[in-house]
Amino acid sequence: MAVALTMAQMKLAVLRHAFRGQRGQTAGVGAVLGVLLAAGTVYLAFAGPDLLAAGYAVWLLGWVLGPVFMGGGDETLRPEYFSLLGLPPRRLAAGLLAAAFVGVAPLVSLSALLGLLVAGARLGVANALVAVPAMVLQLAVFVLLSKVSVALVGLAVRSRVGAIASGLLNGAILAALGQIWVFFWAFGQTGVPAAVWYLPSGWALLAVRGDWWALAALAVLVLLLLGAWAALLGRRAGATRPSGRGRRPITAATAHGAVVAKELRTWSRDLVRNHQMTFALSYGVCFAASPLILGWNGMLPFAGPIFIVMAAAMASNLYGTDGTALWLTLMTPGTPDVRGRQLAWLSAQAPVAVVLTVAFTAFSGGPWPLVLALLPALLGGAAGLVPLVSVYALVPGTDPHRRAGNPLRTSEDDGGLTGLAYLMLALVPVTGAPAALAAIRYGWAGVAVGAGTGVLCYWGFGLLAERRLRTHGPELLDTMRTGRKARTTVKSRFDQLSTTRRTIAWWCFGFGAIPLVPQGVIAAVFVADGMLRHTWFLATYMPPGLRYPVAGAFAALGLAMYGTGVWIVRPRPAR
Amino acid sequence: MTPALDISGLTKRFGDTLAVDDIHLGVPQGSFFGLVGQNGAGKTTTLSMAVGLLRPDGGSARIFGEDVWSAPERAKAMVGVLPDGLAMPERLTGREVLTYLGLLRGLSRDVVTRRAEELLSVLELDGADGTLVIEYSTGMRKKIGLATALLHAPRLLVLDEPFEAVDPVSAATIKTILRGFVAGGGSIVLSSHVMALVEQLCDHVAVIDKGAVAAAGTLDEVRGARSLEDTFVELVGDQDTGVKELSWLSH
Repeated sequence: MAVALTMAQMKLAVLRHAFRGQRGQTAGVGAVLGVLLAAGTVYLAFAGPDLLAAGYAVWLLGWVLGPVFMGGGDETLRPEYFSLLGLPPRRLAAGLLAAAFVGVAPLVSLSALLGLLVAGARLGVANALVAVPAMVLQLAVFVLLSKVSVALVGLAVRSRVGAIASGLLNGAILAALGQIWVFFWAFGQTGVPAAVWYLPSGWALLAVRGDWWALAALAVLVLLLLGAWAALLGRRAGATRPSGRGRRPITAATAHGAVVAKELRTWSRDLVRNHQMTFALSYGVCFAASPLILGWNGMLPFAGPIFIVMAAAMASNLYGTDGTALWLTLMTPGTPDVRGRQLAWLSAQAPVAVVLTVAFTAFSGGPWPLVLALLPALLGGAAGLVPLVSVYALVPGTDPHRRAGNPLRTSEDDGGLTGLAYLMLALVPVTGAPAALAAIRYGWAGVAVGAGTGVLCYWGFGLLAERRLRTHGPELLDTMRTGRKARTTVKSRFDQLSTTRRTIAWWCFGFGAIPLVPQGVIAAVFVADGMLRHTWFLATYMPPGLRYPVAGAFAALGLAMYGTGVWIVRPRPAR
Repeated sequence: MTPALDISGLTKRFGDTLAVDDIHLGVPQGSFFGLVGQNGAGKTTTLSMAVGLLRPDGGSARIFGEDVWSAPERAKAMVGVLPDGLAMPERLTGREVLTYLGLLRGLSRDVVTRRAEELLSVLELDGADGTLVIEYSTGMRKKIGLATALLHAPRLLVLDEPFEAVDPVSAATIKTILRGFVAGGGSIVLSSHVMALVEQLCDHVAVIDKGAVAAAGTLDEVRGARSLEDTFVELVGDQDTGVKELSWLSH
């Protein structure tokens, strides 16, 4: 018990330091989102026990799959810290379990488990009393299942075969969950499937509802999982072995080629990245193919696009994963680092995406224009966003040679990593939207739009990333070294402006889109389609001769506003 | 003559602590300059700012007259750096690291291949050709770091603790290389807390204490008639404390 208590105190001490500043904010945002989800779950206790059981099944899957998807789970206290103490594995595991209860995620989950108390109180005093130990045991099951699954995947990614196999499996599971409606439909299931009661996440609720044996079953499961975890802890030894030897002949002969070759070697020799790539591939294929169960192949052509989005999410912390090796880039200014990394990412992902897209679209015979418009748009968008997001929202990674026995854990800030992955999942589809809309509306013209926006994103976002790296390189390195966001001493152009100019620039950038897009471009499209007197699109209310001029004037006004904004903040030569 | 490295007024504050407080140092061309100080005195912070890896709160650094912050491309082309404890492209072999970095420095393919070969063999890393940097020992990491610093034949070397964790045989090799570099007209700044080493190698020395220069000049100016260690302890050591013992350790 003393060991467990000490470890919990250690964890608390570490968290107190870690949650200062930037990471505190990330954790705060995460906690608020978590509490909202928890409140929603507790509300389910009032809606009905079936729904509550389903809710807890979702929490369980979150605990098991979340850390495997990104970040490797919480490991503030690494098992390696205690390897010289000579603790028996079980006591070590028990201590780490106690420490694992300290933190934001367990607290949030515990508040979600308050639903058990609500469900119990609605049945009687005895049920409410049972709910208390049931909550604790259920939380222990969540935490332990998470630890065991991470440890198992961690063992798997010790070898290339294991990394690929676990990537395929995890991708398939996550895709199946995303497409769960297909299975409901296939099995004629309506409502909540009975299975949620028999998953370990439902046992506490069973106990609260009077099946007392379930409480004992939970306790036994906790002990079994603890034993399994203790055994797995014993098997994690040192850092993961990298795969592949340096046998490949070196062919690069230019600076650009050197960055590409360096990146491609890093990707292929890092088994965690092997795992992530197969995960993205498996996710894309399974997600798009699962409606085949119902005999519908309409989603199949989108396997490629889904793969691109997922692969981009996996690479969202591109610079952070390399850690402080950034110093070499800083010491060789003027090298095409961003462009090389973009090209490397593209040359690894694009062939897969193209083959998937073409093969699957040919198989389902359909919609060629849309799919071929999306392909270049998303590839360009992703290859642009990957470096851009990773320099603007860098999550400091642990230097590869300093990582502990959990290969999935590439940063101390797993919450930040997950957030970054989701950000990428949201942003990449946006870069494909114009091409998709154009393809749906005008057919093959969409392909040109897709190629256009793809090239534009690749070039433009890459340029922005390059610029950021040049102006903020030392700050990024400092963040990587200390794990904290550096207080920047670079003043942006914006901060140096007078208040009046700054206000004008704000208005121009903030509201320039309104005249340009809805009142200008969209209104013109409506006029062209003969959709008149449409809600707030002014041009559609004008007499015939004035419709296009009004839309054009609005568009010009929007462009002028952006122009004014840019003119105000543009860099001026120092006098 | 323009100094090889001219540090003027560099200042860095981390939160409430003033890590480096208005440091001025001039490293003459052709000198072997030792920077000594206790752990946490500000050596690494100063050197990081001097080569452009850490943005100072104030002051400037010039390498052969080129400002590190306003003309980084010219300044950084003339310096080779061995930082302490930073990562490398970990999943490359030593030869790959050198080849790619050489190409990034703008060297031609033939030159890179030849220099990489020589550096690997002189530093006795050529036996580990199939080994990735992530699997290197601490000493090997120092050596590959030194190789990357030397690769583009810079005129100034800035080395942060180059001999830490290096075995005596390799250390002798590295010393020979560094002495040859200075004899050939190069300049070196190295930081260390091993006084004997600095005394043996350097002709100039600066003592850093609590983020400021406590003494600087030629080796003889700084140490006078005593050993460098005695001078150092007198300059930075607390006067009132003798050596403390851990009474509970004796059985």
